[in-house]
Amino acid sequence: MEALEYFTVESPEPLGAEYYRRIMGIVLQDLDLIKIISRLHVYIDPKVPIFVAVGVIKKLPSFIRVRDCGSVKIEEMRATISIGNETYLAPLLIMLQGKFGKDQIDQPDRFTVIITSDQPIQADIEDMVVTDPSEGIYRDLIYAMQYAAPEGFKVRQQFVSKELFYYVASENTLDDAMVRSLVVEKFALMGVRYDP
Amino acid sequence: MILEPITYSGGIYRHEEMVELIEDLGGHIIQRQVIAGDVVIQANVPREDIGILKEVAKPLLGSITISPLVGTEIAVVSMSLEIHHLPHTSCDVAEYLRRYGSKTNMVGLARGFGKRIANLNVEERDVINEHDGAIFLLGNFEECIHYKFPTLRRGIHVPIVVTGGPSTESLKKIIDPPVEGYVGGIGRLMHRYRRPEELAKLEEIVAEISRVLDVRRAEIAKDPLSINPPRLMEVIKEQVSAIEEVTSPTPITVQMTGLRVKLPYETYAGAIRDCEIEDGIHIGDIAHILPSRMRNYIIVRIKPFSETNIVV
Repeated sequence: MEALEYFTVESPEPLGAEYYRRIMGIVLQDLDLIKIISRLHVYIDPKVPIFVAVGVIKKLPSFIRVRDCGSVKIEEMRATISIGNETYLAPLLIMLQGKFGKDQIDQPDRFTVIITSDQPIQADIEDMVVTDPSEGIYRDLIYAMQYAAPEGFKVRQQFVSKELFYYVASENTLDDAMVRSLVVEKFALMGVRYDP
Repeated sequence: MILEPITYSGGIYRHEEMVELIEDLGGHIIQRQVIAGDVVIQANVPREDIGILKEVAKPLLGSITISPLVGTEIAVVSMSLEIHHLPHTSCDVAEYLRRYGSKTNMVGLARGFGKRIANLNVEERDVINEHDGAIFLLGNFEECIHYKFPTLRRGIHVPIVVTGGPSTESLKKIIDPPVEGYVGGIGRLMHRYRRPEELAKLEEIVAEISRVLDVRRAEIAKDPLSINPPRLMEVIKEQVSAIEEVTSPTPITVQMTGLRVKLPYETYAGAIRDCEIEDGIHIGDIAHILPSRMRNYIIVRIKPFSETNIVV
């Protein structure tokens, strides 16, 4: 967990907090989220009971474009993409099939995609957006919090923006004012000003 | 004659000699598992004859180990079957207890999680009560364990061992009335037990369960059972041929005071009740044949000597 600038688990029971620090660390590592969170403060009070996680998100990588997946060679009505990075190959194929039609896209081998069109292919094909990696990351972030929080805390409030996120869960109905003040207070502990 | 639970592990070659020796010495084979070229035999053998068994095992390159949990069926109670509680702690504990000869069943509670909302339903209670003991794998906070454990233990009369994140001393302090055993420092985790201190905790659980069951054995010894459960298993195996067709690894599971027979109750309860043990004594005379809450199995509860005045 060295990758995080700030990581604290706070609880009235110090031993419980230590266990949850380990649980949270492993969950973030397993879901590969350490690279996108810079600060994280977790507060668990089993008396209430309530689980609060507030955090700061690092700047996310921007859109993945065709040029990030490989090099493109355009010959009038035909373009060949030599795949350099296979990570986003599936969304790339889906995007191209949507744009040019299924019959026009051929993948003769693992690292080659050929587009044949009935019109000249524009040079800006390289700038076409394949996917937005942040979409899945926000989903993973909330999943990680659900996974790490004590089970049975089914009443929850969550918020994710480009810079900040919070996740509050309990087994009792949550009072809005209490949630707001807790979240603001925990953000302040990390040195972050949050105005709900 | 005091019987000692042991595990023999060796090759399949000439293992029949070991089987015959155990039977000749007056021991009982509880389970024989053949896995490819290996064989694992769990048995109860007379304590004074263990030396002979070791002598015979030596040329067969087999080993004899004392397994305190052979002949017991233990419920490993997990607070739920969600990703939060499984697989790590529950499976590691269940698997480790099996290494020491116990037959473990995992009982995942439908609503065991949370603090206020934790609950134990009637079916879960009855299933747990069919075992020789139950190990409750609780979470990391004292506050939650203190609050929810009275609900979870309601109606359970088998010995309970509690594990949880707080230390053993804290668990003893917060659980009232006391349970039979405690192992602290083993709460909810997100990884498998692999570090030496974690494996030591598993050893601690085995030791605690063995201690709790030894106390129970001593209680049973004060009013002994009318028949030894492994012996009763042999009688059923001989006389109820349908048991040969059951594909479960243990068609008959031996417990400390009875058996779980994995045959449908409606069809086979009568046949089991009528099995003759010897000299006109039938199983129905010395045991209760009851329907199990686990599938439609049969539970055989052996009556004590004080009730039947018979020992076979």
